Amino acid sequence: MNAQGFSAQLDAATGVATITMAMPGRANKVNADFGAGLQDALATALGFQGLKGIVIASAHADFCVGADLDFVYKQRDAKALEEMVGQMNLLYRKLETYGVPVVAALTGSALGGGYELALACHHRIALDEPRVQLGLPEVSLGVIPGAGGTQRLPRLIGIQASLELIAQGKILRAAQAKKAGLVDALAATPEALREAALAWIAANPKAKQPWDVGGFQWPGGVQPNTDMARQLFMAGAAMLAQKTAGAYKAPEVAVRAVHDGSLVDFETALKVESALFAERVVSDDAKDMIRTFWYHRTAVEKQKGLPQTDDAGIRKIGILGAGMMGAGIAFVSAQRGYEVVLKDVKQASLDAAAEHCKKQVAEKAKHLSPAEKEALLGRIRTTLDVQDLQGCDLVIEAVFENKELKHRVTRETEPLLAADGVWASNTSALPITDLAEASAHKENFIGLHFFSPVEAMPLVEVIVGRATSEKTLARALAYVRSIKKTAIVVNDGYGFYTTRLFSAYIMEAAQLVAQGHDPVLVEWAARKAGMVISPLKVFDEVTLSLAAHGFEMMEHYKGEKLDAPGVRLVRKMVEAGRTGKAAGAGFYDYQTKPRKLWTGLRELAEGTPAETGVAYIERRLMLAQALEAARCLDEGILREKRDAEIGAIMGVGFAPNTGGPLAWIDRRGAAQVVAWADAFATTEGARFAAPKLLRDMAARGETFFEQV
Amino acid sequence: MSEAFIYDAVRTPRGRGKANGSLHAIKPVDLLAGLLRGLAQRNQLDTSAVEDVSIGCVTQTSEQGACIARTAVILAGYDEDVPGVTLNRFCGSGLEAVNGAAAKVAAGYADLTIGGGVESMSRVAMGSDGGALFDPQMAFDYGIVPQGISADLIATIYGFTRDDVDAFALRSQKRAADAIERRAFERGILPVKDVAGVTVLARDELPRPDTTKEGLGSLKASFEAMGTQFGLDALTKQRYPQVENIRHVHTAGNSSGIVDGAAAVLVGSREAGAKAGLKPRARIRAAVSISAEPVIMLTGPVPASQKALAKAGMKASDIDLFEVNEAFAVVPLFFAQQMNVDPDRINVNGGAIALGHPLGATGAMLLGTVLDELEARNLATGLVTLCIGGGMGIATIIERV
Repeated sequence: MNAQGFSAQLDAATGVATITMAMPGRANKVNADFGAGLQDALATALGFQGLKGIVIASAHADFCVGADLDFVYKQRDAKALEEMVGQMNLLYRKLETYGVPVVAALTGSALGGGYELALACHHRIALDEPRVQLGLPEVSLGVIPGAGGTQRLPRLIGIQASLELIAQGKILRAAQAKKAGLVDALAATPEALREAALAWIAANPKAKQPWDVGGFQWPGGVQPNTDMARQLFMAGAAMLAQKTAGAYKAPEVAVRAVHDGSLVDFETALKVESALFAERVVSDDAKDMIRTFWYHRTAVEKQKGLPQTDDAGIRKIGILGAGMMGAGIAFVSAQRGYEVVLKDVKQASLDAAAEHCKKQVAEKAKHLSPAEKEALLGRIRTTLDVQDLQGCDLVIEAVFENKELKHRVTRETEPLLAADGVWASNTSALPITDLAEASAHKENFIGLHFFSPVEAMPLVEVIVGRATSEKTLARALAYVRSIKKTAIVVNDGYGFYTTRLFSAYIMEAAQLVAQGHDPVLVEWAARKAGMVISPLKVFDEVTLSLAAHGFEMMEHYKGEKLDAPGVRLVRKMVEAGRTGKAAGAGFYDYQTKPRKLWTGLRELAEGTPAETGVAYIERRLMLAQALEAARCLDEGILREKRDAEIGAIMGVGFAPNTGGPLAWIDRRGAAQVVAWADAFATTEGARFAAPKLLRDMAARGETFFEQV
Repeated sequence: MSEAFIYDAVRTPRGRGKANGSLHAIKPVDLLAGLLRGLAQRNQLDTSAVEDVSIGCVTQTSEQGACIARTAVILAGYDEDVPGVTLNRFCGSGLEAVNGAAAKVAAGYADLTIGGGVESMSRVAMGSDGGALFDPQMAFDYGIVPQGISADLIATIYGFTRDDVDAFALRSQKRAADAIERRAFERGILPVKDVAGVTVLARDELPRPDTTKEGLGSLKASFEAMGTQFGLDALTKQRYPQVENIRHVHTAGNSSGIVDGAAAVLVGSREAGAKAGLKPRARIRAAVSISAEPVIMLTGPVPASQKALAKAGMKASDIDLFEVNEAFAVVPLFFAQQMNVDPDRINVNGGAIALGHPLGATGAMLLGTVLDELEARNLATGLVTLCIGGGMGIATIIERV
């Protein structure tokens, strides 16, 4: 084994050399060592007498799951990057053109740079296990593949098929990857995989890459530089822009790499990719996305610095309230083996919830056998009788957002809990400390704020009340981890973090509309900024009546009357029955197809704004949220800065391209953000008041996160 | 600076741009060569006096590649001293070629030149020359969309309904039918003959005089699926965020027809004409090309015409007849609205919706059409303008002498 962990060994009987990647640590990562190690091992292999072929394998669980992000994150030198990938490309070209067949033995996942190495082999065999994943997910970190991925994959599976995978950063399980052509064969066991690799080498002594054979025809029926290809790229680009509103650069650059590279020979195509890769890697948005989606996300998922427990002692879970939320929580819990009792006061709700779970099994648990599916559904018991909650280790209360009601069910149900049972409220806003007033075991009382639809939303906001114990937090976190959700942990206060952030977003939009800004521009400005769903659309989805109810609660908790134009607008609309999508009328009219913004909004507006336009609206929408995030940090609601970013993006669809609200501030500079805030505060009032934390940062020229 | 005069303007009839079109069997170079030969014959031209032949052609690939102007000049039997150049300003190419020829004359760089255009759309498909205009980079960075989407965008923003564009299309068909009936195009058309000298086509064959309002109304919007399903409408959002949804109003019935054809205009100085024994028919008062915003793309005729009028020291009211290319019905409608021009002075003999739009040739054809009509009506001034891909516009003002 060489210093980088690569080795080459010849099997004299077959003449096949195996290059094994065993980089120090637990994974093979593409970086300078990777290049040097592979180059050295390849030279050794190519020096073997009677060499008939090469198998590239990994000694780690995964083949290689991509680039060394520590390296990529810090890199700001485009020239150095182009040189580095240029070297990698030379190495891969040598591998695929030397003249011996090369097989990638994919006994584990091959993603990003790892899959690019597999693409540079002549044949790919993957272990047929669901844990084995393949693909080029680079765009989700704001970058594109840089070691030939955008050039080899289209030449391997066709332009259209590759565009869909690369521009969306799709990851496929081994079986799907075989269907899509990402791997050539599947094997049931590592031994069978090796046998298949040796057999393929023996049968293909003169293997060449398709693109190195004269008269190469692109697969998929579309040849580059033809009318068909041009139409395909035009539609592909447009459909992407329709989805991303131009806020996400990496998918666009990926499409460009495939297109521009398709017009030239393979060697030149690699240079086209290198330049686009370097442009992406050094960009600000790639830095912000890598920081959040790699560093923050890993820390959050590992629950770094948070109390841990080996055994949460949770087996039986009671869920109060069988609405969409309760049903969803029941399903994801049963999916992970918990015994679930779902309790409601209406049989109709229970029936609907049971139906929902059945549908989920059909849609989301296709890989299970009929018996397993039955067992999963069997773990969910619906009941009208509160006594059935006897002995629950965890109760998740998901009843209507009303303090008195929540107090009542707490008093009624808590005594049924197993000794030391945990009580969790799924409230999205009511302070946990207030709800815990009804509890006899306040230390066991916690907030678990799920997002709808529970099956699809990855986040749970965990709220620590004044009396919540570390042990309860540890147990709640263990539960969240066990149902494969990501937890952020926040301190108590009305609206916690995510609800405050979300309210700031949609209420700023309502305020803009109420002030006479064009609602069409409001929707577009948000999408252009990268917000996952435009504010008026999502407002209609959560319903205006929910917001109106929220106003009342807020007035109660904040002790002040809410009477901004946006509040008045929402109240008027609720009075007029325009409560949202479910009602068929809200900010939008849903009778027409496509849905259209309600023309009556202009008549409800109070006056005409002195200044408007996409840039103005975008700034207000984003600033309102960023300030709210900064306030939550300032007030100690947020315990970790990373949670501000992950909670915003994974919980309420904050613009992922920005890296999160704090990164949004960093990128613009605290001083600039404070200046904007001050300007808006004079015209818009206190909601634009910059928190002290931000003023201090501005004065000291600080950022929330270390900048690279 | 001297003046440039138009001595003659000829065109082929326009053949349906399909395999069943009458001109489909004729190579584009033969269309053009035949026309150049005819122009020389009917003016008894000593072709050695022609200093350049400048030809607009949009899809310069395959049989229209390799400088078709030069090839046609050779085939036409022109004097060996006569060069040829082919240029591409999309739909403005034919007029651009004439304007360039006139500019050389006006500048004194040449005395007698020919400008014109050719396009056999049935043989060389529109768009088959590739290009980077619609590639992913342009789509992402500038939101460039195909023209049909742009035309529908104009209709949406400036309030033209499906009824408006269909009514315009119907009028174009009626006017073209009337014009053909009263032989208004006769003077300008040189029939296309085959190698044996047999006439292949002597009249425009695209018009549908039996077109009805109901028939037009029943046609499917051509760019709706492209715009909504394939997301092309959304590309325009970067430039036109205020447009919630584009109203797709253009159909095959209210957009220009696909045809084959060629045109040529003989331009020279007063002295060169006199020397050749020719009588000038009109002088060129102004000739401009401009660019406007490329996503909406087709608004160019308005600023182009305004600029041409300003250069000529004229007002729109000084112009007797306008030819505004009917790439899409909304283009002349928008022109009339913005320029405040009486629609009865625009495209009096119909336009490309009825007659067809042979991309590279149309501009030169329209110049001949307006000149013939000015003579027929004994009027003085005409303005020809076309919208152009990529957001450009072109306009030429002529005045009879």
